Amino acid sequence: MAGLIDAKLAQLRITLPEPMAPVASYIPYRIAGNLAWISGQGPVENGAMMCVGLVGSVVGLEAAIAAARLTGLNLLSQLRVALDGDLDRVSRVVKLGGFVQCTPDFIDHPKVINGASDLMVEIFGEAGKHARFAVGAPSLPMNTSVEIDGIFEIR
Amino acid sequence: MGGAVEKRLKDKSIELPQPAVPAANYVPYVVSGNLAFIAGQIPFWNGELNYVGKVGQEFSIEEGQAAARMCGLNVVAQVRAACGGDLDRVVRCVKVGGFVAAGPEFTDQPKVMNGASDLFVEVFGDAGKHARFAVAAPSLPLGVAVEVDAVFEIK
Repeated sequence: MAGLIDAKLAQLRITLPEPMAPVASYIPYRIAGNLAWISGQGPVENGAMMCVGLVGSVVGLEAAIAAARLTGLNLLSQLRVALDGDLDRVSRVVKLGGFVQCTPDFIDHPKVINGASDLMVEIFGEAGKHARFAVGAPSLPMNTSVEIDGIFEIR
Repeated sequence: MGGAVEKRLKDKSIELPQPAVPAANYVPYVVSGNLAFIAGQIPFWNGELNYVGKVGQEFSIEEGQAAARMCGLNVVAQVRAACGGDLDRVVRCVKVGGFVAAGPEFTDQPKVMNGASDLFVEVFGDAGKHARFAVAAPSLPLGVAVEVDAVFEIK
């Protein structure tokens, strides 16, 4: 595959991680009409969760931002499978839902989820700009520090 | 602006805030097909942040409802922008996501979120009825008490 987005990834020296299998009774993505809904992803690389624990205590802001970026790469990895390998079919990043496992006094959820939001704009340009929420969670699956789901418009 | 919804806003003396500028690298809404995805809104009023604290601690349930209503007013302001200023283009409110900053013992998220849900029905009538979730978060961006996102069907 030598699409425009694959060329962009190569230029940015980004390798997408292997898509992770769901951990429970759901599927990693569902396409309905021209929207692809991607299940919640975490900062997984080579099958391992790379950032675990509470942001604001054991996990610092920079590490959390990096985890959000890696989580974004996992979203794109699932999306690429959903699109039979062709990320050029993405016409718009529509929505990201960002959860940060954090302490009750943490207030920088937007900065954390920017790790994923900035990645989308880096890769897709204007089409990468999306609506989103960024909220705290008291705990997340497998103790991940960040979980993000996504909705993408495709053609 | 002389639409039916604008008239209802006027009749009920409901004032909308200036749509808030995103706190980070994302956009306030994305329209894909006939769906408008509105980013998570927090209780800003014309640039001023309100309701910083937690429901069940700094704020009563009633105050939480008022915070949710303010988030909802910001959602409607973004919907108006997404519709090019014409709220009569709203077909229905599809889905609302509500996050309430609260301690682990708090269980009245639905009551709090009714502040936003009731507003949507006040503004759009039957078309304002929606599916929703209402959950707690240990903390929210900038320390606010409530965050609300939404999906609207438009024509």
